[in-house]
Amino acid sequence: MLDIFDLTVRYRTSGGELEALSSISISAKKGTTLALVGESGSGKSTVALAAMGLLPQEAQIIGGTVRFDGHDLGAMSVEERRRLRGSRLGLVFQDPFSVLNPSLTIGSQVGESLIHHRGYTPREAFERAIGLLDEVGILNPKAVANAYPHELSGGMRQRAIIAGALAPEPDLLILDEPTTALDVTIEAQIIELLEQLRARRGLTMLFISHNLGVVRRVADEVAVLYAGQIIEHGATEDVLHRPMHPYAKGLLAAIPRIGSKQLRLASIPGRLPDLRKPPSGCRFAERCPFASESSTQPQTMRMVGGRGVRCANAELVESTPWPTPEATATQAPPRSEQSPVVSVRALDKTFRIGGGVTLEGWRLRRNETLLKPVDDITLDIRRGEVLGLVGESGSGKTTLGRTILRLIDPDSGEIRIGDELVSGKPQRELERMRRTAQIVFQNPDSSLNPRKTVGELLARPIRRFGLATTERMPTRVRELLDMVRLPSHYANRYPHQMSGGEKQRVGIARALATEPRFIVCDEPVSALDVSVQAAIVNLLADLRDQLGVAYLFISHDIGVVAHLSDRIAVMQHGKLVEIGDADAILNHPRHPYTIKLLSAVPRVDARSTSAGSGPPPLQ
Amino acid sequence: MSAEVSTTVVDEKPPARGWPLQLKIGLLLTGTIVLLSLLAPSIAPHPWDTVSMRTRFLPPGPTYWLGTDEYGRDVLSRLLMGGRLSIAMGLGATIVSLLVGVPMGLAAGYFRGWVDETLMRLADVLMAVPPIMLGLLVLAVTPPSLWKTALAVGFVYIPLIARITRSVTLTLANEEFIQAARARSESNWYILFREILPNAWPPLLVEASLRVTYAILLGSALSFLGLGAQPPSSDWGLMIAEARSFIDRAPWIALAPGLAMCLLVIGINLLGDGLRERLDPRLKTRIGKR
Repeated sequence: MLDIFDLTVRYRTSGGELEALSSISISAKKGTTLALVGESGSGKSTVALAAMGLLPQEAQIIGGTVRFDGHDLGAMSVEERRRLRGSRLGLVFQDPFSVLNPSLTIGSQVGESLIHHRGYTPREAFERAIGLLDEVGILNPKAVANAYPHELSGGMRQRAIIAGALAPEPDLLILDEPTTALDVTIEAQIIELLEQLRARRGLTMLFISHNLGVVRRVADEVAVLYAGQIIEHGATEDVLHRPMHPYAKGLLAAIPRIGSKQLRLASIPGRLPDLRKPPSGCRFAERCPFASESSTQPQTMRMVGGRGVRCANAELVESTPWPTPEATATQAPPRSEQSPVVSVRALDKTFRIGGGVTLEGWRLRRNETLLKPVDDITLDIRRGEVLGLVGESGSGKTTLGRTILRLIDPDSGEIRIGDELVSGKPQRELERMRRTAQIVFQNPDSSLNPRKTVGELLARPIRRFGLATTERMPTRVRELLDMVRLPSHYANRYPHQMSGGEKQRVGIARALATEPRFIVCDEPVSALDVSVQAAIVNLLADLRDQLGVAYLFISHDIGVVAHLSDRIAVMQHGKLVEIGDADAILNHPRHPYTIKLLSAVPRVDARSTSAGSGPPPLQ
Repeated sequence: MSAEVSTTVVDEKPPARGWPLQLKIGLLLTGTIVLLSLLAPSIAPHPWDTVSMRTRFLPPGPTYWLGTDEYGRDVLSRLLMGGRLSIAMGLGATIVSLLVGVPMGLAAGYFRGWVDETLMRLADVLMAVPPIMLGLLVLAVTPPSLWKTALAVGFVYIPLIARITRSVTLTLANEEFIQAARARSESNWYILFREILPNAWPPLLVEASLRVTYAILLGSALSFLGLGAQPPSSDWGLMIAEARSFIDRAPWIALAPGLAMCLLVIGINLLGDGLRERLDPRLKTRIGKR
């Protein structure tokens, strides 16, 4: 159906030409699902754009062909390509929140392509849209068709987008990270929908994702991309359970798994090579623990046991697992049963949304909605303990974290940090608490002031609390950088000169600058790639062991939480539905919501046979 | 995981980018005009205020490069001297509006709530006053002089600056580094002026450069109405006003300051645009990344 052969794409950039794809060859047979896996910058989205014939202006196809059902896309005129896209290809993007036009109804957007490509009248298209919405499992399709995007939840929107992609009865569906922006339970539903649709319509799918758990569920074949090359290509089971290429091994080893607790996660050191001047030999050699003499030679795709591997040493290292690091500190300190570092009692916070006043008869009425993201929360965090906090988006995790730190003022309840009661104090008297309790944020791009160097960023909290003299400052900054394993010359860098993982390290160093005893980690690894995520999680674990800091570790990724936490708390609609020892929660969840959440997590190591059988449908 | 960062870190500075073309042209234009105006007293070829009946309405020529006006004064010399007034007027007014407008916008955008409401309604009131009317009002009760005109013009532009600052601040206030600052008990002053303001500069610079040019124009308009510079000294607006009645006989008298104003306005706008591109660290390296 889709056949990409020897495709090389370059981007013209200000710093020279960048080879985004080097001799990519993939093909998806009719009715199968091919997954493209890789980290950011690997070129997966470029493949999708090339398959659609939608490469941007600055991209240049150097060589190779893209064939769709026998037609060469490169030989087509722009108009022909447009027609092909409209009638036989469907595209679903990552972010369901920005794809739909907020000022058009769902129905008209779903049916839009029918008007342009199938000659439907707007009325007919709308009718058909209702049918399609029904097909993608939307309950009240007529009402939804008349609704506007903002009235729909994320999962509903993604269903509507899929319906829109299905409208022209396409043969090939290209899905670019279709579930990344969604909660796990919703993700599970969307995956299930895709499987149903594939069976019913005989769709061919090109599925692009960084989430190996999701890929395992949907794909028949997997191609792993690294730095613009396919480094391993084969049946899903083979690649995900017995990876041969070192990078694939590393990627799989870096994923925290629920139920098998290791002290430290494996991580892949280093970063992607600069594709403006790609290394002449193996592109992964620099980061590869198995690199040998032959790695300096360009690697070619070889068939090894029914799959393609781009590594000369594949057979040699086949049975050697990716090295797992030892814990740097000897062992996690025994959890003391003494007084907790943080203790929260009956904490409440209500937000008023809307406001505004309407006249009701002769009376003024405030129309506002009350939202309770923190509803009667009680919890303790002991010294050196990691309390994992999980829940779906909107469950109040972030609000709870920030309320404990008094970044948001609570309505009622009691917060104690150390031995200090901080809930009743005015902001200016919180000096001591601010030193003891710090926070690490989710988005490394947003959490560091882009106008300040790393040195300035780290020095500020030290100066703010008078923790070092001006002469001692550079030494202290170096110590902090060393603690998060960044070289000391990074002090002169600006945030935009660092990678995401490095920025997150600086964010952690900044939190450590005040020598806190408690840190709220608000989704600290959610914006990072798997291999980088593993390194940051390890770093957090090391710091906990060395410094005895306690964390409130907020994440929607239950795998990461399971790996790092001593205890886990589950939140739903602002309420704590379950809290307890990590093992107990993971293995014997009691609350129905916890059970639902855990069963929705796509796992890489689960050994389900065919891609068609998923967990039971969720209500 | 220990050696993981240091192994591969090639010290890659972002590719050094030259100055943007707009910046170069803008700098050249503005710089030349400002420099010439500053040096005016020493480089003006003729006295700017000596009336001479014998040299009235001379067209541009080797002695008087830009000709002479109705009192026989050298247009070039008057242009150079007038430039000082016009530029001082534009800059002065902009500085006034920045000094008041920026803190207003920062406070409104960061504190929200009633602070925002109060400040912005105040700005709305200001915005409803027609600039010329305000100028007339201020200058009608006191004897007209240049600095008062600058003050009046600056005053009129406060709401515009405040609005821009507010909208930039609104976005910045949601960034996580603001929360990080709050998490270490930074004062509001520090957050507004040390965390938010440095990031708000790029769009503000563009706005300010626009304001300088508008202020020059508005100042000229007020001078035109007799409310700014007082004869015999003359800024460009007043020069045009005076030359108006002779535009058919001696068009160069009006054309020279008109053209000069055009060049300065274009120059400053290019300068502002170029500066923004040059100063924003994020704009610099986004290109080139995939």
